[in-house]
Amino acid sequence: MLAAILAAGLAVGATYALIGVTYNLMFSASRVMSFTAGQLGMLGGVFGALFIHRLGMPIIPGFILALAACALVGVVTEIVAVRPVLGSLEQHLYVLSTLGLALMIQQFTAIEWSTEPQPFPVLLGFDGGGPLDEKFWLPLVACVVTIAGLEFLYRRTLVGRAFLAIAEDNFAARALGLPERNLRMGSYALAGVVGGLAGFASGELLLAFFANGAMLNFFGFVPVALGGLGNNRGAIIGGIALGVFQQAANFLVGGVFASVAVFAVFIIVLLVRPQGLFGAPATRRV
Amino acid sequence: MPLTRRGFALTAAAAAGFARPAHAQAEPIRIGWLATLTGPLSSPGIGFDRGVRWATEEINAKGGVNGRLIEVITRDTQGEPTKAVNATQEVISRHKVHAIWGPTNSGELLATSPIMARAKVPSLVAGVVNSLIDPDKYPNAFRVTPSNSQWDDAVRNYCMKVVKVKKVAITADATGYGTSAHDDSVAGFKKAGIEVVYSGVIDPAQPDVTPDILRMKNAGADALVSWTVSSGMAARQMNARAALNWDVPIVGHPAMGTGEIGKLVAKPENWDKVYIIGYKSCSFDDKGNLPAKTRAFVDSVKGKIKLDDTSLWWVASGVDGIRLIADAVAKTGSSDSDKIIGYWNTLKEWPGLYGNYSFTPREHNGFNGDDIVMQRANSQRDGAFALAPGYA
Repeated sequence: MLAAILAAGLAVGATYALIGVTYNLMFSASRVMSFTAGQLGMLGGVFGALFIHRLGMPIIPGFILALAACALVGVVTEIVAVRPVLGSLEQHLYVLSTLGLALMIQQFTAIEWSTEPQPFPVLLGFDGGGPLDEKFWLPLVACVVTIAGLEFLYRRTLVGRAFLAIAEDNFAARALGLPERNLRMGSYALAGVVGGLAGFASGELLLAFFANGAMLNFFGFVPVALGGLGNNRGAIIGGIALGVFQQAANFLVGGVFASVAVFAVFIIVLLVRPQGLFGAPATRRV
Repeated sequence: MPLTRRGFALTAAAAAGFARPAHAQAEPIRIGWLATLTGPLSSPGIGFDRGVRWATEEINAKGGVNGRLIEVITRDTQGEPTKAVNATQEVISRHKVHAIWGPTNSGELLATSPIMARAKVPSLVAGVVNSLIDPDKYPNAFRVTPSNSQWDDAVRNYCMKVVKVKKVAITADATGYGTSAHDDSVAGFKKAGIEVVYSGVIDPAQPDVTPDILRMKNAGADALVSWTVSSGMAARQMNARAALNWDVPIVGHPAMGTGEIGKLVAKPENWDKVYIIGYKSCSFDDKGNLPAKTRAFVDSVKGKIKLDDTSLWWVASGVDGIRLIADAVAKTGSSDSDKIIGYWNTLKEWPGLYGNYSFTPREHNGFNGDDIVMQRANSQRDGAFALAPGYA
């Protein structure tokens, strides 16, 4: 019983966590909360089902193509919805532009793909339905791979350090001669890959469904707020905690009351620590 | 007076005017057909539409009704109440229709019913929400499909008499329809003395329902009653039931029998022991035969109407709507709204393809509840389903 709830909770939580990381990757490069994060997750599932299930491609090429397509969507987001509004960040125009693009992606998927959930292929054959079913542990594997990959990128590579530099101080990084625009586009492509990976790995759980985008946007934002904006470690812990808590609430109180319980805890945490559980209060030299 | 060109034209126009009574006899019977033909809610509308077209062509091919052809004015409402309201106003004001068939879902009907009542247009209702029928408020509206409470009764009776439940779990999706169906169902079971050990609505986008199903299993439910129109949620419930080795039937909404479910269940056998609301007229008996009247219809439309991707009852109901209007004009010799409404008010067991209809001035729920049965969800063939266990 506990195993079933934990398996489902960890899987859903890992997916939320990865969407939280997607938000953070886009935010740290541009100071923009892009609401296309959830749609990238949805597209990961839809592209995976399209390439592997519908077009019959082998799993590895299908997987790579799905991530590449999501990376492209990430870059398009930067060009279409982020770059034009960077000059007036304080007016929060990005809320409109990224939300608008997210809705366009969602509606386009509904029209071209399907308005009904479509099946996602079984990838490795561990599909018994029990707690050891691959649909429960694949998102966790994806989460671990992403953490390891990002750690390696940020700590061991020059490009990763350049990403950190523009996230830390955009003006100083530019003054040092770093190609800020290209790095920002790179960050958005990387966000596309992470979002796509979240959707692909959880495809068997979430199915390839156009409406997943809005759901992931919503529940992926919670770990970002819980963990502190731009803090990947916080997003991962927050996401997994959210997933497990949500599934436990589904079992203990059931139905829509579970959502009430989740958001009650969310509000209490933010009241106690407005900067998030792992975020530092913003300091400004005066 | 010299005959000028203008004078001649006026005389000719007047003569044409005098000739109008003879012309009026051949005036077509105009029927407003409002259906959701595109968009996410379009599956039923497309099925109904096939029946509407077929019945119209059949009647017109025989020369129409009393020499009057049927003209169907179709408007696609796209599942949106605002578009349905516009379409209703258009067919009433501009096309001066004699009767309206549709819209085919409750949300749109809630918006359009007052407009049709104000214009006193005879209307056939295909929505399940109870409040759509009220002979005082809407004396023009006649329901030709079951009401929510009739569906509710059918599911509850099956659970009690055939499954013999003592404890039941009731769930629905967190939509407007789902919530109201859930509340009615819970009240009905409690009133009948059955213990409701789990009840709750679930967000149809919830990624995994294992904890919810586990809760129902631990509570000792003998059956799961599900009122969801979301194929994703229905399939997840069936997969979770199998994963938890919980061997109880799932009973409920007809949407659990759509082909989409077959694609989403992890194994085909997860779809076993799922029983959905259906109709006697569109059910195979234990020998795999349809009732004679339905069989004759299916045979006659083979190759003309596609049945394998829709529900037979949608098509049959579409046919009945047109035939009910045509019959009223044929029997009363008039397409006046008072005459049509007056005629429908006298119907007793009017034999349709989908069901038998009875109306009185005080009862406009015309569908016979005894015609509702439960069917095996995974047995679809030609749009019809096999009867669930317990009817043989």
